[in-house]
Amino acid sequence: MTRLTKKRRGEVSKSMRLTGSNDDVGFRALIEHELHLNAALDHFCIRDQIRALARRRKLEQLFQRFKEPHVDMILANGIECLCRELQVDPQDIVMLVLSSHMRAATMCEFSRQEFIDGLEALGVDSLETLREKIPSLRAELKDEQIFSVIYNFAFDWAKEEGQRSMTLDTAIGMWQLLLTEKCWPLVDHWCLFLQARQEKAISRDTWTMVLEFVKMADPVAPHYDADGAWPSLIDGFVGYLREGGIFPSS
Amino acid sequence: MNTPKKRNFKIEAFKHRVEVDPKYAEKTWKVLEHAIHEIYNHNASGLSFEELYRNAYNMVLHKFGDKLYSGLIATMTLHLKEISKSIEAAQGGLFLEELNRKWGEHNKALQMIRDILMYMDRTYVSNNNKTPVHELGLSLWREHIIHSENIRSRLLNMLLEQIYRERTGEVIDRGLMRNITKMLSDLGPSVYQEDFEKPFLEVSASFYSGESQQFIECCSCGEYLKKAERWLNEEMERVTHYLDPKSEPKITSVVEREMIANHMQRLVHMENSGLVDMLVNDRYEDLGRMYSLFRRVPDGLSTIRDVMTSHLREKGKQLVTDPERLRDPVDFVQHLLDEKDKYDKIIGSSFNNDKTFLNALTSSFEYFINLNGRAPEFISLYVDDKFRRGLRGVSEEDVEAVLDKVMTLFRYLQEKDVFEKYYKQHLAKRLLYGKTVSDDAERSLIVKLKTECGYQFTSKLEGMFTDLKTSQDTMQGFSAGQGPEAAGEGPAIVVQVLTTGSWPMQPSAACNLPAELLPVCERFRAYYLGTHTGRRLSWQTNMGTADLRVAFARNQRHELNVSTHQMCILMLFNSADRLGYREIEQATEIPAADLRRCLQSLACVKGKNVLRKEPMSKDVGDDDAFFVNDAFASKYYKVKIGTVAAQKDSEPEKQETRQRVEEDRKPQIEAAIVRIMKSRRVLDHNNVVAEVTRQLQSRFLPNPVVIKKRIESLIEREFLERDKADRKLYRYLA
Repeated sequence: MTRLTKKRRGEVSKSMRLTGSNDDVGFRALIEHELHLNAALDHFCIRDQIRALARRRKLEQLFQRFKEPHVDMILANGIECLCRELQVDPQDIVMLVLSSHMRAATMCEFSRQEFIDGLEALGVDSLETLREKIPSLRAELKDEQIFSVIYNFAFDWAKEEGQRSMTLDTAIGMWQLLLTEKCWPLVDHWCLFLQARQEKAISRDTWTMVLEFVKMADPVAPHYDADGAWPSLIDGFVGYLREGGIFPSS
Repeated sequence: MNTPKKRNFKIEAFKHRVEVDPKYAEKTWKVLEHAIHEIYNHNASGLSFEELYRNAYNMVLHKFGDKLYSGLIATMTLHLKEISKSIEAAQGGLFLEELNRKWGEHNKALQMIRDILMYMDRTYVSNNNKTPVHELGLSLWREHIIHSENIRSRLLNMLLEQIYRERTGEVIDRGLMRNITKMLSDLGPSVYQEDFEKPFLEVSASFYSGESQQFIECCSCGEYLKKAERWLNEEMERVTHYLDPKSEPKITSVVEREMIANHMQRLVHMENSGLVDMLVNDRYEDLGRMYSLFRRVPDGLSTIRDVMTSHLREKGKQLVTDPERLRDPVDFVQHLLDEKDKYDKIIGSSFNNDKTFLNALTSSFEYFINLNGRAPEFISLYVDDKFRRGLRGVSEEDVEAVLDKVMTLFRYLQEKDVFEKYYKQHLAKRLLYGKTVSDDAERSLIVKLKTECGYQFTSKLEGMFTDLKTSQDTMQGFSAGQGPEAAGEGPAIVVQVLTTGSWPMQPSAACNLPAELLPVCERFRAYYLGTHTGRRLSWQTNMGTADLRVAFARNQRHELNVSTHQMCILMLFNSADRLGYREIEQATEIPAADLRRCLQSLACVKGKNVLRKEPMSKDVGDDDAFFVNDAFASKYYKVKIGTVAAQKDSEPEKQETRQRVEEDRKPQIEAAIVRIMKSRRVLDHNNVVAEVTRQLQSRFLPNPVVIKKRIESLIEREFLERDKADRKLYRYLA
């Protein structure tokens, strides 16, 4: 390794900080440019840009492959194709995780920007790399915090645009997807209860609080505090469970 | 040197050898001892007080105090022993008298002895810490008489026997008793307490325990209480006559315990004569007695109160849930008022207007009146009845009294907003049909409601009054502007202009008015809109009345007073002899249900059937035909045609009213939540609920579940948000 003066070493680490590259890359760039920091930095940025552009071009091609012919969006058909390519069921919850990474605004839709930025942020540039990514995406659900983020993301994602709340059918579908993943034993009761209640829509507050309830409810439901400011839907659910003898009545 | 020596002078005291006779003390004592004997033997008249005093003085002076003192004790003891024997010897009833007599003598003797030995008392006794003569005499009396074996128990038994005899109705010598107990007290409070009071209280307790057992078995509650009261008075009297005043609280507490406290529950619940029976039969005297006796013992009053409350609640519950009663709202409310009066009177006359009882009364009424969801409606109907009929010719004060009573019932209501809803409907009808007996009384009640519930509650009611007043002025202006030529021909109208929103009417589509009426209506519209720009007028043809002059066949003329709808129907017959139901419906466009009712009233009510119907039947069918009833006859010139009453509020309608109330509550609850959150910024769920309930309770009792739903709705509309960390906390979003 080339001996570096103290000054040089400072510059190297500065360049590394600026470019975010690791030691090796930084050194190599530096050496190639006869240890001239500015030139090295230029080189580094340019190379990076080139690489990024190349990746974007690949993603662009990917997007073109799936997008609708007349709209600049990937819609249901495109997603179906994508899923087929990825060998994933479109109903698979992992698609929700993927959508959350893409910050998709609406279910079954990816805009160009969402698709490309999202995949780029995942560090993916081809179908193969994306397929390889799937297991790690799925694993994210196990993390309680990430699950919460995805759960809350799902509300905006699944509800109809411009609406404050989510229709009951959508909500039931999403709950079945998410809460089964969470292994909540009461998920079937919950959905039956919702259908019986004929609630029209689910508000964001109720949606959020249901996860809170799921987190705490199962083992401690007999201690359920009716004064605990739970949304009335959840109050109703606990009453329903007690009536049905699924929970001991308090 | 001859220095003069200082010499100390000493002046010797004058020494005068007083030869003391060695027998002196002995001699002197003999004199005194003799005197004491004489005193006890009632021979004191021959004694020289001066000589004896000097002798005693000298003895003390010559240091023979000791001898004198011990001699006194010995002599007195001797005499007391004799006395004790003579008392013991006294037979039966004489015992107490003898004791009393001897005690008197002893006291007198003691007095004299003390006087003789006064010098000893002052010097020797106080220097040597001995007991002074008088106290000494008492303590010796105590020791040798009262505490002597043969006297002690006999005395006590005699005393207790005397008291027992008095309790069982015999007359005893109260003076003697007083002297004896006074003696015991004089001998020291402990003597009185130990030798008399304690056993006395014990014996009394068992006496009253026995008596109470016996009486409670055979007496009614009222009689028993009378007895208890008498006993209590007797004991207090006994104390004033011959016991120490300090005994009073003790003996009364014994009687209270034995006679009342121990039997409280049994007395109160006694069948056919207990508290409930007294309440039912308004036995004020017994109730008052029970109150004054029970208040003396712990938990006494609460026992009465609890029984009264549960009885009242039970009875009230029956009253408000009895389906028979529900048929007649006026009777229903009258019963409530009677019940209230009854208990007011009981508490006033028997329970000393006790605050806690009044509170219990209030809470009981609040409890049961709200068991019946129709109570608000009924109270309004009651008022309606009063204002239409009941208050006619009643003086102003009596009207006020009735209204005040209604207000007390109103205060018990939780759902005051439901009352308001019905009251508005009933008031509107009274006002529009001019059915109210007294405008002043109407206003008076509104003022009362306003004081109770605030401006908001009555603003619409007041608006209704204002509308009518303004309408009068408008009509005056209108008819003044009409000129005489317009007034002469064609129909005349009187219009009441009602502000939308103030009146409880649902806007309904106007029917087609007869052509004869249209010009005058149009004129009024033009006049009104000319003076009030920017307003809209619509006709409420489902209300109002009309007077029609009708000429039947055979020159029968009548003036018919009919509703607006009926008028529209009748006018059609000016140009037709026969009209089918469908024709009428088409021509008038009166809603079917109303039309059927109108036709029924015109054709099917006997005596008022100005129309004839084919076929003749009670109900109006789609294919029926109508004719003017030429055979119509009435002995009156003016005939009022009523409208067949609509079916009373049917179940779905009631439900609808209920729903409307619930709907009206929502914005009020939301407003309260927002008000609270705006000032508190952050507040937890339970406090929000409590605060909302508090703010709204003057109008209704909001259901916590409903409040929660409103909070959720406000969260959804982003007035509030839930705290990120603590789901029970709400934040106000400005």
